[in-house]
Amino acid sequence: MIEVQNLTKSFKDLVAVDGVGFHARNGAITGLLGHNGAGKSTTLRILYGLLKADKGRAMVDGIDVMTEPLKAQAEIGVMTDAHGLNPRLTAREHIEYFARLRKMEKTEIQRRIDELIVTLDMSEIADRRAEGFSQGEKMKVCLSRSLVHDPQNLIMDEPTNGLDVMTTRSVRSILHKLKKDNKCILLSSHIMQEISALCDEIIVIADGKVLMQGTLDELARRTNESDLEEAFMKITRQG
Amino acid sequence: MWSIITRKELKDALRDRRALGALLLFPILGPVMIYFMFNMIIDIAEEAGEVSLPVIGAQYASDLIDYLEQNGIEIETVNLNAAANPDSDFYSNAQLEEISVAISSRRFDFVLLIPEKFDELIGASRSSNIELHMESTRTTAAPKIGRVDGLIQAWGRETAALRLIARGVNPAVIAPVNVVRVDTASQQSRVQSILGMVPFFVIMAAFVCGMGVAVDVTAGERERKSLEPLLVNPVPRYTIVIGKWMAAVVFSAVGLVLVMILNFFSLSLVPLEEVGIVFNVGSLEIIGVLVTTLPLALFAPSIQIFVGIFAKSFKDAQAYLSFIMMLPMAPFFFNMLNTQDREFWMNFVPMLGQHMLLTDVVRGETPEIIDFLLAGLSLLFYSLLFVYGASQLMKRERIIFS
Repeated sequence: MIEVQNLTKSFKDLVAVDGVGFHARNGAITGLLGHNGAGKSTTLRILYGLLKADKGRAMVDGIDVMTEPLKAQAEIGVMTDAHGLNPRLTAREHIEYFARLRKMEKTEIQRRIDELIVTLDMSEIADRRAEGFSQGEKMKVCLSRSLVHDPQNLIMDEPTNGLDVMTTRSVRSILHKLKKDNKCILLSSHIMQEISALCDEIIVIADGKVLMQGTLDELARRTNESDLEEAFMKITRQG
Repeated sequence: MWSIITRKELKDALRDRRALGALLLFPILGPVMIYFMFNMIIDIAEEAGEVSLPVIGAQYASDLIDYLEQNGIEIETVNLNAAANPDSDFYSNAQLEEISVAISSRRFDFVLLIPEKFDELIGASRSSNIELHMESTRTTAAPKIGRVDGLIQAWGRETAALRLIARGVNPAVIAPVNVVRVDTASQQSRVQSILGMVPFFVIMAAFVCGMGVAVDVTAGERERKSLEPLLVNPVPRYTIVIGKWMAAVVFSAVGLVLVMILNFFSLSLVPLEEVGIVFNVGSLEIIGVLVTTLPLALFAPSIQIFVGIFAKSFKDAQAYLSFIMMLPMAPFFFNMLNTQDREFWMNFVPMLGQHMLLTDVVRGETPEIIDFLLAGLSLLFYSLLFVYGASQLMKRERIIFS
């Protein structure tokens, strides 16, 4: 469960996040929807403990990210916007490295990695070095290493950006499975179809402010638009 | 915890040819250079020591030849094949041609030519020319020629003095001044100056061997955009920095030990005793040197990690670190210019303390334990300072996200 209250963050003169507040519950996929530069990434970065907010609170399972960042980080899995891999390490070694950093047991690590390799269909690349991996293959490794410790909360920044159809589908199916396991998933995107296909809850964000939060149906009802894109345009224009 | 990071970075570095190349190539370079320089000096010293002098017409100057032999010159009598000139006292053109061919074909480096009438002229208190044929461009022969020339001059002065005494004149009349040369640049001091390069190579190795890894785990991580995903894990920044630092330390330490072993090996191959230097390195000395230098393997990577985190890319890091590479030269130059003895404060200057200790050990002196301790501990302190600085840098938003 992730809770954000009155979050504010400025970079010099630019107010990137301006009093953002929302709630992402367990057993649901929550999507942050907004243009590029709307403040989605900044919000997520504060949540996973790499940026310090100027004001406000961010809580993960009741743990304050500002005061206990390491404890909060232990409760989340993160897929960052940056998908940097080390060209000389194999896919398996990448996942293993993060599992070790999260203090997992050796046998448990192996079991979990084998499981992820099957779920994400990575048997071909598992023992290959990351040099020359395609965008989709890189993504799978990143997703695996953020899921290896079976976190209760998953934060993903633009998870399907630049992915082919096959990979997008397998990412979607994993997210649905996690949702069934009562996990809390928070992702950001600027792609309408992505959000409407995946998310139970949608948070529309623009210029660092939350303009509306609700299910797809609720947004449609409040804007009188059945299409998310039209609804989004209407909401952001009003804001 | 940090060992997880160290192990991963080492695994990565061992697969990196560039880092491995730096690790293996540099330690070999210094000792090989030192070996060849030593051998050159010793060769020159040896050759100047035993001069063999080819002489044509040795039988015409028995007194001079005796004098040369008494002073350690080995006389090699040479007979010419070309026909002599029956009309002249001196050698024929054909004979001179034969000598010139013998020198240019390197059969000789130089030849002393004594004319037939030499003893006769000297005995009659007159003067005679003798010729020393040589090729002045042959630098290796220069010290030998100088020696022969000097001895002949000395014999000339002695003969002149005897002539004056026989006529009741004090020889000092024609020798108002005597220049006595005292050469302090002995072979020994030349060897000493080469030995002075050993500490320099050792300190350099600490910087060169760990650099590839230090840059890769910092600027490389930023350039690959893999720093942000790493920092998402619940691991304190100082743990991450220590883990990365230690990976570079391992490379730097291995490089140091390699340089040390190879240096002592190459020095043991050189016949140092022939130039009068006693250089016996036992296991105790090696341990002493290792204790002295291993803190360098902590220090050099700590600066490089600090600078590496500052840099956005390999290119940036290389530009910054080329300045850092100048640092090991500072104590070397300081020591060259410094005329005072070791002073207490020098122990607290990073690298200078180590340089002094190494210089002592290489010269066969045993430094005091307190110097070892102070120099080592102060270097450890500076290393931790840089590591702390690096962990602080890793908290900066600008560094994580750009």
